[in-house]
Amino acid sequence: MGARLPTSALRRPSLIPTSSSPSTSTPSPSSLVRNSVQTRNATFVPRPRRPYMFTQLVQLSDGSTFTVRTTSPTALYKSTKDSRNHLLWQPSEKSLRNVELDEAGKLAAFRERFGRGWDLDAKQPTEETTPPITAPQPAAPSSQTTTPAATATQPAQLEEAEEAEDPFDSMTDLISAYAKHDDKLAPQKEEKKLADSKGKGGKGKKK
Amino acid sequence: MAALREVSRSARSLPLSQIRHSYQLCQRRCAATQAAEAVLQDLETDSTLGAPELSPEEKKIFRPWKRAADRKYTLPSSRYQYHPPKYNRGPLHPIQSPPSSDPIARDFVPGPFNLPRLRQTYQSTVASDLMTLAYNHKPPGESHEHEQHEETTDRLRGWDGSSPYHKNRQKRAPRGSPVLKLVERDITFRNIPEIKEITIATFVPEAIKEQDYLLVARTMLLAITGTTPEITKTKSNIAQWGLKEGERAGVKTTIYGNAAYEFLDRCIHIVFPRIKDWKGIKGTTGDGSGNLAWGFQPSEMAIFPEIEVNYAMYPSKMLPGCRVFVKTTATSDRQARLLLQALGIPFYGELRN
Repeated sequence: MGARLPTSALRRPSLIPTSSSPSTSTPSPSSLVRNSVQTRNATFVPRPRRPYMFTQLVQLSDGSTFTVRTTSPTALYKSTKDSRNHLLWQPSEKSLRNVELDEAGKLAAFRERFGRGWDLDAKQPTEETTPPITAPQPAAPSSQTTTPAATATQPAQLEEAEEAEDPFDSMTDLISAYAKHDDKLAPQKEEKKLADSKGKGGKGKKK
Repeated sequence: MAALREVSRSARSLPLSQIRHSYQLCQRRCAATQAAEAVLQDLETDSTLGAPELSPEEKKIFRPWKRAADRKYTLPSSRYQYHPPKYNRGPLHPIQSPPSSDPIARDFVPGPFNLPRLRQTYQSTVASDLMTLAYNHKPPGESHEHEQHEETTDRLRGWDGSSPYHKNRQKRAPRGSPVLKLVERDITFRNIPEIKEITIATFVPEAIKEQDYLLVARTMLLAITGTTPEITKTKSNIAQWGLKEGERAGVKTTIYGNAAYEFLDRCIHIVFPRIKDWKGIKGTTGDGSGNLAWGFQPSEMAIFPEIEVNYAMYPSKMLPGCRVFVKTTATSDRQARLLLQALGIPFYGELRN
């Protein structure tokens, strides 16, 4: 301990704070005129003032958890809306799209009668709007699930939209095009796929 | 004797025969065994009365009061406790304060207690991705150092020498700006942009008339960042806005390292998605040297989990918005934006470099 006593260790000059404090000497007539030479008798070492920090478990909407240090005393923070269920961060997630739900077919009737000239979306189709879903059944599922009937009505349009939205599709095509040239890899992949499909099929039958 | 010393004082004063006797007693009466043992441990076997008396010479020599009077310095208390000095008195002073990493130091801050998620992401994927994606191949055999050197050194405008007075005249700053802008350095394995620090600032002009606004702003920043903010003063006189120079009308803090990463993580994954109709951060942000900034409206401050959990504490009408300045080690906005995009911040609109 004696050797490690901090008082016996000299401080490195680079660590010395350069801030100056006014000299504590009594004001004499000569010192009333401000000294050109800076004096620093002592620099106060402040104790850090910081709030109590808690370790908090944050659970995102997809169930993933991680710990953070916060001032908030709650042990667990569950978020309902975060980057995991936001369209801006998950652009390929179709359930997050703003899908127009037309249960009673009123919007369709309106459009049949007055046309689509009123529609802002019809003029400039954006990513957020997809063609409206007309569900004849009164008990339609929630807006997040697309009904199979709707997908059947306009499959071509949806596909086009997908192609326009996904820049990764073209990338994967590119990569797969390169992969075709590799003669060694191709047969292995096919075998793997076959094996996978067999395994899946077996499991399905058992169930 | 050493074995005896380990027995407690009071046990030593007791004669051995008595101890043996009582021990047997204890063995017999098992119910009170523990209580009796506890009592015995406080007893001492040998008595001070049995010690030989001091001779008169020895008594004369023994003057503890004299020793105490002669002593120049006061001894430390019996329980010796080291306290680090309150003041640093320079590198040559015999009393030096311990390094801040020492738990006994006055400026010691414990931690780190966790590795922030965003920092892990940065270290494991973002850094290597940035380095790979921004790789600029230079064929070996050519010296590019010379070009780079010229680019970075001769950036001031010289004089054409048409007049004899141009000799030894100082070079001029570039056209349009009195200061030289930072030169963008290539991203290499040694130069990958990183989050340096985040400054959060609030300007509360209402605080000039009503001091409580300052308190609310201070508490808000304290809750968000976990550091004690400092109060800023107004810089300029603007009569129309009722501003006078030197008034206390703002609050700011700077967070570094893990705290900065955690704050950014919270912003990206919890706060931004909950802002209504949020498009992203403006692409035109940035000061041209790799520091990007954005702001939060007063209504958006309530989204922060630390404020949300204790929202009733804040007077909601007095809650100010704030500006967030993310300082990176990148030397251009382009690279800084690349870093923040990789960390998960979307940008919209025109992108300015």
